[in-house]
Amino acid sequence: MKIAILSGKGGTGKTTVTSNFAINIENSIAIDSDVEEPNLHLFLGGQKTDTESVFTSYPTIDKDLCTNCGKCGDFCNYNAIIPAKNQVIVFKESCHDCGGCKLVCPTGAITYEKREIGKIIKDKTSFGGDLFYGILDIGEMSGVKIINNLTEISNSYSSNKTVFIDSPPGTSCSTVAAVEEVDYAIIVSEPTPFGVSDMKMVVDMLQEMKIPFGIIINKAGLGDNEIYEYCKDKKVEILGEIPFDKEIAKLYADGKIFSSSLPKYQKLFKDIYKKIVDRRRAL
Amino acid sequence: MIISICSKKEGMDSLVDERFGRSENFTIIDLDTGDFKTVENTGKNEASGAGGNAVKLLASHKVDVAIVPHLGPKAEIAMEGFEIKTVSQGDYKTVGELLEAYKAGKLEVITKKKGLTRV
Repeated sequence: MKIAILSGKGGTGKTTVTSNFAINIENSIAIDSDVEEPNLHLFLGGQKTDTESVFTSYPTIDKDLCTNCGKCGDFCNYNAIIPAKNQVIVFKESCHDCGGCKLVCPTGAITYEKREIGKIIKDKTSFGGDLFYGILDIGEMSGVKIINNLTEISNSYSSNKTVFIDSPPGTSCSTVAAVEEVDYAIIVSEPTPFGVSDMKMVVDMLQEMKIPFGIIINKAGLGDNEIYEYCKDKKVEILGEIPFDKEIAKLYADGKIFSSSLPKYQKLFKDIYKKIVDRRRAL
Repeated sequence: MIISICSKKEGMDSLVDERFGRSENFTIIDLDTGDFKTVENTGKNEASGAGGNAVKLLASHKVDVAIVPHLGPKAEIAMEGFEIKTVSQGDYKTVGELLEAYKAGKLEVITKKKGLTRV
């Protein structure tokens, strides 16, 4: 089973929740899909065991075959290929590697070359399970390709392990890519007006994607009652709550996973996991 | 010779637009006949590559000289690819004022400074 942990607003506790699940649920692996700023390995990471480069492709033009017909430029949605006077300009940074320009080229003048955009790193973690995380190189526009590779990795494990996927915040292309093929999603939200406002966008996204989901309220006790009223009104399930507790904040600041130091919270994550298994079964 | 000016609205009294790729419109002027027309910048809301797209649009209207604000690196490369000369619009406020300044030779020609890697 694959479970994505996401949020609208950043800093609500996705990584905290993911790492606590990873150490409390047996036979699990963890994936950090927030390739623009991965941090799950700071909590779970142990020993780096493997690094793999991720590539994207961009078109190159055979000038002898090109007739400057302009079809490639008309096709490209991202203005990555622009047939100009007596030359075709390619902005390889803008290319989304869809392969379309090659298909529409009538003379076969287009081939593709590869360039590296980031890496996927495999870690042997402190809790025993594997951790995979992606890193997008600075200056690259989209991490979707790396996230799709991480999805392939999680698919290869999901038949006999529970995969916890720490997702990028918000509702961008990266988030959609990270949650596209999951069995269940957990939204981590804090009970503040800002937290609730951003959470609503994630709820809309998950409903449109037809992914079952529930909510974990982190820093419960802060803010106001809006999140409770919203969940009641929209019949959204609150799976559990993590209290606003200085002890937890201290452990987090030390890079520790709080339920390993505060065993009273281990049951919280085990109970939520049981609920999710039940909800999946009922579908 | 045909020139282009980034413009917010239509006509000589329109304000100049301070962006190139995301300019609202382009006023295209044929200096030989004095005719001018306003062309909507259809690519102004592109997620990326608006600059290159705008250069394509100017090229399709046979523009020889583009009067522009700051140009992004991709637009700069595309201008060169289509052999369109670029001239800086400076601080002129309206299309009419800018046109007169160009005719009087008061505008600075942009020489290529930077650029992304080209394949």
